[in-house]
Amino acid sequence: MISLRGIRKTFRDGGSEQVVLDGLDLETRPGELVAVVGQSGSGKSTLLYIVGGLDGDFEGEAVVAGRSLRTLSPADRAAFRNGAVGFVFQAFNLLPALSAVENVMLPGHFARGGARAGRSLAALRSEALAALDRVGLGDRAHKRPGMLSGGERQRVAIARALFARPQVLLADEPTGNLDAVSGATVIDLFRGMARDGLTVLVVTHEERVSEAATRVLHLAGGRLR
Amino acid sequence: MRWRGLLHLALENLRADWRGAALNAGAACVGAGALAFFVALGLGVGDAARRMFPGEARLVEVVPPAVSLAPMLGGGGLDDAAVSRLARLPGVAAAYRKLTLRVPIAASRPPEGVHLNWPTGFTVQIPAVGVDAGLVAGDLGGRPFADPAPEGPIPVVASTRLLEIYNKTIAPAWNLRRLPPGTALLGLQLPVRIGFSIVPLKTEDRVYDSRLLLAGLSDRVPVYLLAVPLETARRLHREYGKPDQGYTSVALLAARPDDVPSIGAAVRHMGFAVDAGDRAMAERVGTVVAVTTGALAFLALLMCALAALAVAQSLSASVRARVKDIAILQAVGATAGDVRGLVLLEAGLLGAAGGAAGAALSRLAALGADAVAFRILPDFPFRPESFFAFSPWLYLAALAVAVVSALLGALSPAAAAARIDPARSIA
Repeated sequence: MISLRGIRKTFRDGGSEQVVLDGLDLETRPGELVAVVGQSGSGKSTLLYIVGGLDGDFEGEAVVAGRSLRTLSPADRAAFRNGAVGFVFQAFNLLPALSAVENVMLPGHFARGGARAGRSLAALRSEALAALDRVGLGDRAHKRPGMLSGGERQRVAIARALFARPQVLLADEPTGNLDAVSGATVIDLFRGMARDGLTVLVVTHEERVSEAATRVLHLAGGRLR
Repeated sequence: MRWRGLLHLALENLRADWRGAALNAGAACVGAGALAFFVALGLGVGDAARRMFPGEARLVEVVPPAVSLAPMLGGGGLDDAAVSRLARLPGVAAAYRKLTLRVPIAASRPPEGVHLNWPTGFTVQIPAVGVDAGLVAGDLGGRPFADPAPEGPIPVVASTRLLEIYNKTIAPAWNLRRLPPGTALLGLQLPVRIGFSIVPLKTEDRVYDSRLLLAGLSDRVPVYLLAVPLETARRLHREYGKPDQGYTSVALLAARPDDVPSIGAAVRHMGFAVDAGDRAMAERVGTVVAVTTGALAFLALLMCALAALAVAQSLSASVRARVKDIAILQAVGATAGDVRGLVLLEAGLLGAAGGAAGAALSRLAALGADAVAFRILPDFPFRPESFFAFSPWLYLAALAVAVVSALLGALSPAAAAARIDPARSIA
């Protein structure tokens, strides 16, 4: 599902070059919940952005959900982000002006081809409500993010990530801003998704997440061990 | 779906920042409103001016030269041969002869069937000009305009403007009754005395009663004259022994307005003069109105440009404030084109809202201005019902200018938004 070979990523800061990922390899299978741990600045988020098609400037071979990311045009990479992967961020990254259900609907607005392209707003809303129901927030659908707790916001973000029925879910410190109870709820959701056949790649530094993972990888020196 | 989705997002974004949106729409509203208001004012005043000075762009009035020895030498007058030569000039579609009637006509009684408070002993001298029927045929609606049988009423065509001047100036000043609208007067007969003049010693030896029949109203007849059939003028000249002095003038109808300058040059080359009085006045008035309207419209367009700058500045700030939101959209599948389209759509909606409001406000402002004008201005001739001429295309133009201004203002912010790097901005 995720196949990375020899991934190298560098950042240039003035005249100097900083190597963040240095020949990184990774293979995952459907149904795996993989936790990537490592120190701050070790490149965990960078790895996630490469896998998710947010960052196309890298060396090496990356095949995710059957697509070779190096060869995708910007428009194809956007379509890949829209349908093949879902993101969950530490800071939730919901649009504050939109209600929970409208945030969940967002990927539907940018669908090209596939089942969701051409769907009416009403149909998208109905699907988004169903997604919110699945994360236990059906009754909070019309609240804006500012009216929701941290745990609820993260569940809205998870519902949005799952809205397009992706093959890969990418989570960047998903429990970092949550209390113990909310964090446990999110971890349970991830476990359930993995059981349903989704590949879940979680970047974290929290033990409770890595304990729930089927595999834990350490990112250090630009490589996974 | 993408555009519907983007529209949905754009509306939500505008709703979230409704104060900023209202400010931007207000800027577009002022520009579009000013444009519609000033252009409508120019068009309205232009219409009124054209009714006041109905110069016809295709007519060239040929008159004998002011100073010429030719008549003394037996030529140079506007005789039939000259008219024939004029009619053959390139670009001339028709030539209409005019002959000022030198036999006086006077009216001492009101038109039959009309009560005007005609003062006792009041006599009006009626200057007349004989014209070819073709000159006024378009305004006759098929009514006959030819020298009548003996004892029959003489058909006349009056200036369209005469009625307006009579009702607004003469009637109030002399305490006469106003006349109904022009077409209601057609067929009216005025008892007159042929050969009678109110000027001492100008009355002819023979005076007889006749009637004038109003056959039509035309902008091609001068306001101070009545047009009678050319043959009637000739007959009266024969009856009263007036020598033939050639035609007073000849109206040449150009095939196209563009032909007028070359026709004028050819006429002068033939030794005749061109009387540009009425046309020149109409052109001067038209030019003044057009220049004034153009200047005000330019001012309004500057306002639109300022509105575009306001939108540019506001949307730039908005994009800077929404960098993370835009990165989130990219994370869920928005392309650079989607992001650019979203910002442009927001601007377009602002422009459309502002333009629609501006067009509506300009109409309200025009109604207010008309109300004030009607309260403070006297009822002068040709005073229009409204000083503004709004039309659907003007509303559409105001709307389009507002939308285009907003879109132009949004180009740079939209490009900046499309350049946002999601990987850097979302962290």
